Amino acid sequence: MKTAMKLAVSTLALCAMSTLALAQELRVTVWTGSEAHLKMLNGIAAGFIAKHPGVTVKFETVPVADYTQKLTFQVAGGNAPDVAWMMEDAAPAFENAGLLMDIGPTLKATEGYNFDDFSQPAMALWQKDGTVYGVPFSTSPFLIYYNKDMFDKAGLEDPNQLAAKGEWNMQKFQEVAKKITEANPGKWGFEFKDGEGYASRMTHALLPPVRAYGGELWANGQCGLDKPEAVAAVKQLHDMVFKDKSIVPPGEQGDYFSGNSAMTINQISRASKMPEAGFKWGIAPLPSGPAGEAPVIGQAALTVFESGKNKDLAAQLVAEMTSKDNVAIMAQFFPPARKSVLESDAFVNSNKLIPPEQMKSVAAAIVNGRVHPSHERVPQIFAAMSPRVDALWRADANVEEAVKGVCAAIQPLL
Amino acid sequence: MARSVSAPRLTLKTREMLEAWLFVSPTFIGFLIFFLGPLVAIFYYSTTEWNLLSQQATFVGLHNFQNALLENPDFWHVVRNSVIFALGLVPLNMALALSLALALSRPFFGVVFFRTIFFAPVITSAIAWAIVWKFMLQGEGGAVNQMLAWVGIDGPNWLREPNWAMAAVIVTRVIKMVGLNMILYIAALQSIPRDYEEAAKLEGASRLQIFRMITWPLLAPTTLVIMVLTTIGSFKVFDHIYQMTGGGPENGTLVLAFYIYQQGFKFFNVGYAAALALIMFAIVMALTLVQVMLRRREME
Repeated sequence: MKTAMKLAVSTLALCAMSTLALAQELRVTVWTGSEAHLKMLNGIAAGFIAKHPGVTVKFETVPVADYTQKLTFQVAGGNAPDVAWMMEDAAPAFENAGLLMDIGPTLKATEGYNFDDFSQPAMALWQKDGTVYGVPFSTSPFLIYYNKDMFDKAGLEDPNQLAAKGEWNMQKFQEVAKKITEANPGKWGFEFKDGEGYASRMTHALLPPVRAYGGELWANGQCGLDKPEAVAAVKQLHDMVFKDKSIVPPGEQGDYFSGNSAMTINQISRASKMPEAGFKWGIAPLPSGPAGEAPVIGQAALTVFESGKNKDLAAQLVAEMTSKDNVAIMAQFFPPARKSVLESDAFVNSNKLIPPEQMKSVAAAIVNGRVHPSHERVPQIFAAMSPRVDALWRADANVEEAVKGVCAAIQPLL
Repeated sequence: MARSVSAPRLTLKTREMLEAWLFVSPTFIGFLIFFLGPLVAIFYYSTTEWNLLSQQATFVGLHNFQNALLENPDFWHVVRNSVIFALGLVPLNMALALSLALALSRPFFGVVFFRTIFFAPVITSAIAWAIVWKFMLQGEGGAVNQMLAWVGIDGPNWLREPNWAMAAVIVTRVIKMVGLNMILYIAALQSIPRDYEEAAKLEGASRLQIFRMITWPLLAPTTLVIMVLTTIGSFKVFDHIYQMTGGGPENGTLVLAFYIYQQGFKFFNVGYAAALALIMFAIVMALTLVQVMLRRREME
């Protein structure tokens, strides 16, 4: 009888303990499923667990295409994760719905954190009236990826050589794209980001040249695409697609990574695809325009949900993950927003695939770059924009009229 | 040895009934939770303005329906697209299915091979099918246009011009799904007694007459089923559009099911999406009833 009692008591105690332990599990949703990324993240989490005994951290991969959708459904179903990797385009909607916790106080109270170390442009999207909704842990500039073999074959200087001479501008970009296309029949000079420039990445296709000309997609509730600077930029792109035929046209596949286009715009994380590409390659800054250099960055941040059961602990986890040491570790995959890390040798040497001098242009773009314009109704804006942008990408389109059409469609939503 | 036998507590009938309920209960409970529940819930949702993200549901009565039917010009554009899609797909699919069935219903050497070939797309993944076609329909490098070029035709940029895009999604969808209707027609053709045909032949009927006067009327019930199923299927088409055109270009292939998805899963307007789904249900229901009534009148 005594033994039975003991057994019952110890079982109850174990149950209680396991419940306690369960209550301390922090769930982090991320979009990466890469083994290397997860190994690194788990390594960082191990450091946090060591300081907080009884706590476990679980990284949950949600595929990137459905990421925001699934996160929304988790939140709506009362099952929000403790910490979420939040994409820049989704951030305003989550912020405005009051779903994200102000983690500023926790970060600032963390010893040795040095909140001011984060580059201000990089923090712009995640701070409002002194409230900190997230910490950017991947601030990834848009870069030109080029196929060195195709440049050599056409006898042309590559974008880095041109940039070193200060000649890497929009005019030169059009010129080399045309020459390369002529030298490589059946291939193209340039492919829009991920080959999606006429669909899901239509704004990513327009944004770099529009900014280089001094324009903007939208700002302060006003559509900017019909302004003269933007029109000039779009006209140049339109000419490149339909007159020079140097950009992969709509309805055509011209994958850069398979060697079918000489240049594309993408982020540093895509460098991992390059070793299999089978050609010599490099990265260079975006071409400058009449408005000078206008780097564009894409961002993701770590955020904590207000409804989480362990939100204070979750905020501490974010502080740990974005500490100076851990940001330096993550820099190999996710470019940092901490100035001290950006300026360090560790960063320029962090990526085995990219030479240090090219990494320097990455660092410069992070410090000066601006994110894609945001809005809480981005999905609606894109849906309204999409048919009008389709009309723009026709050979016989009147660019000026077409961009006016785009603005007319999105203005009511801005 | 006397044994006292207690009277059974339940009558045989009650016991059988209880057992019957017990056996159907797993399915029945599943039906209630997973089928009837959502069906009832959707009526409720359709009367709310519910933004998933901010988790606020406000009762708005019939406002969602009023907005869709009277105020939202996109809605009628989308309905128009769905109707064009159905009008293109249903007759083409049925005519092709019947032709294939007529050709493949009698045994001949290699018939199984041909049936398999035409049925294979039905069991192919819809997404894989759409991706392959997307490549084949490229403006310049696509296989379709290259083949057209051999015979001197300069093919259009299929998926980038609104009218051609609609035609392209219809035809590729027909090729994908025609095998199913073909099998239904073959089954129906094989169940027609051969005596009728032989008798007609003896009377001197031509093949066309046999088809018109015997085969076609006897296929009527199958034709009705196929017509109803294909129409419903064409209004529900989603995966094919999602992968091939994403509703573009210029919203030229934005059909109802895709629009509902957009409202519910992209904009998170769950209430509005529910109302649209009910409207789609009503349209499909009405079309089905019309088809059944027309067929009945024809048979009388």
